[in-house]
Amino acid sequence: MIKLNNVTKVYKDTIVAVRDATVDIAKGEFVFLVGPSGSGKSTFIRLLNREEAPEHGTIYVAGKDIGKLGAWSVPYLRRNIGFIFQDFKLLPKKTVAENVAFALEVIGKPRHVVRKQVPAIVELVGLSAKLDSFPHELSGGEQQRVSVARAFVNRPPILLADEPTGNLDPQTSVGIMKLLDRINRIGTTVVMATHDRSIVDTMRRRVIELDHGMIVRDQARGVYE
Amino acid sequence: MALNPRYVLRETGQNLWRNVLSSAAAVITIGVSLWLFGGFFLFNFAVDNATARWQGGIEFVVWMQPEATPEQDANVRESLDTSPSIRSWIYVDQEQTFEEFQEIFADTPELLDIVTPEILPPSYRVVPTNPDADVVAELASQFVERPGVQEVVSADKTIRDIQSLADKVTRVFLIGSVILLTAAALLILTNVVSAIRSRGAEIEIMKVVGATNWFIRVPFMLEGLVQAVLGAMGAWIGLRILDNTVIQGLSQPDSLQLMQGFRVDQSEFLSTSLLVLVIAVVVSGIGSAVAVTRYLDV
Repeated sequence: MIKLNNVTKVYKDTIVAVRDATVDIAKGEFVFLVGPSGSGKSTFIRLLNREEAPEHGTIYVAGKDIGKLGAWSVPYLRRNIGFIFQDFKLLPKKTVAENVAFALEVIGKPRHVVRKQVPAIVELVGLSAKLDSFPHELSGGEQQRVSVARAFVNRPPILLADEPTGNLDPQTSVGIMKLLDRINRIGTTVVMATHDRSIVDTMRRRVIELDHGMIVRDQARGVYE
Repeated sequence: MALNPRYVLRETGQNLWRNVLSSAAAVITIGVSLWLFGGFFLFNFAVDNATARWQGGIEFVVWMQPEATPEQDANVRESLDTSPSIRSWIYVDQEQTFEEFQEIFADTPELLDIVTPEILPPSYRVVPTNPDADVVAELASQFVERPGVQEVVSADKTIRDIQSLADKVTRVFLIGSVILLTAAALLILTNVVSAIRSRGAEIEIMKVVGATNWFIRVPFMLEGLVQAVLGAMGAWIGLRILDNTVIQGLSQPDSLQLMQGFRVDQSEFLSTSLLVLVIAVVVSGIGSAVAVTRYLDV
């Protein structure tokens, strides 16, 4: 599903964010990216949805070399990749339903599809009772659930998450991880950057550790360290 | 991917409403600049029409001194008869001149009381074969120094004065409109950039979920277009008022004879209106395109 061959990303000609990374992630896998701050986790994730382009190497997503995609086709790549932010990035003037619907509207989905899919995904994340609530009326965990719903409403085969529990307390984080685990179990490939040791140690999934941009460990059913 | 018209209209409307004051400033600026631009064309059309009225029958008048001798008069007449550059001429004697005088000054009897035919100059009204203004001027100048000639007045001088004045006026219109159109384009650019910045979070989400570049850009470009079209509508109303009041006012029957041809045809008004609309679209296109390509990184 995702394949990196000798990928290197350099900022400002001197800062090497990812160095000669070679990784193969199969369909339906759940992968944790771990490592200290500045180790290249976020850059790794941003490379996968073409927010960044590598200086060297090739990246394949769903069999396509995304480095060869024209600018016009990048949006179509991104429709196959859900993205969850650490700080949720919900639109404050839109309700829960509107925030989720926004992700469908802007890719041109017809209204009847939006009407059908939004309540279904909001139910999946357990927020049916708060469809008309605004983000400021929700807890942090609820806001992140909305963010997950927005990322997954288009049923993408890949879900990227950049420290999705970074702003949440441990108990709320467990709820989010259960949700991501559930999404993974229906066949979605999940790649998640995290600092949360307990989550990694509890879930025992594949762990890729980065340090100064280099992959220093790639372990199946791994732990944080 | 087809753009959803409902979505595009909603987003464009919201952008305009968020920047309502600067949007109004852009609409007014582009309206005034397009009004000046359109006014430049309307005045040019009107001047062309006014002078065209004279081109067919352009003439000069040789005013003789009232006390000119028959020999002096015969000398001028012979020149008029023998010149190959003159198609025809009419002699207006003192009695006929007095009749014209009575018509012109019918409202001022005190003037009529003191003027008699004997003190008025007779004249030759000349139609040249070539109506070109330069040829007429050259021809008229041949009579200025003749004995018995009081004055030679050529229509071309009046026309040139009018044209010169019109040139100056329209040049001011054109320069002013170009400056204001530039300001309008910059205002539209600023408004679109402001809208882009105020919607940074939404744009980021749109990019991440896979909205196409055009889907993101079109509402912003449409915002500039709406401002320009509203400005063009204001300019059109202004041009209609200019035509109905100033231009038609100058061409009334009681105006100067030359100004009676000072008018704008409906086809000329229509072509000016279309040009104004096209310029509005071009200006907004430039402002919006620069804004979305330089400040909207998709």
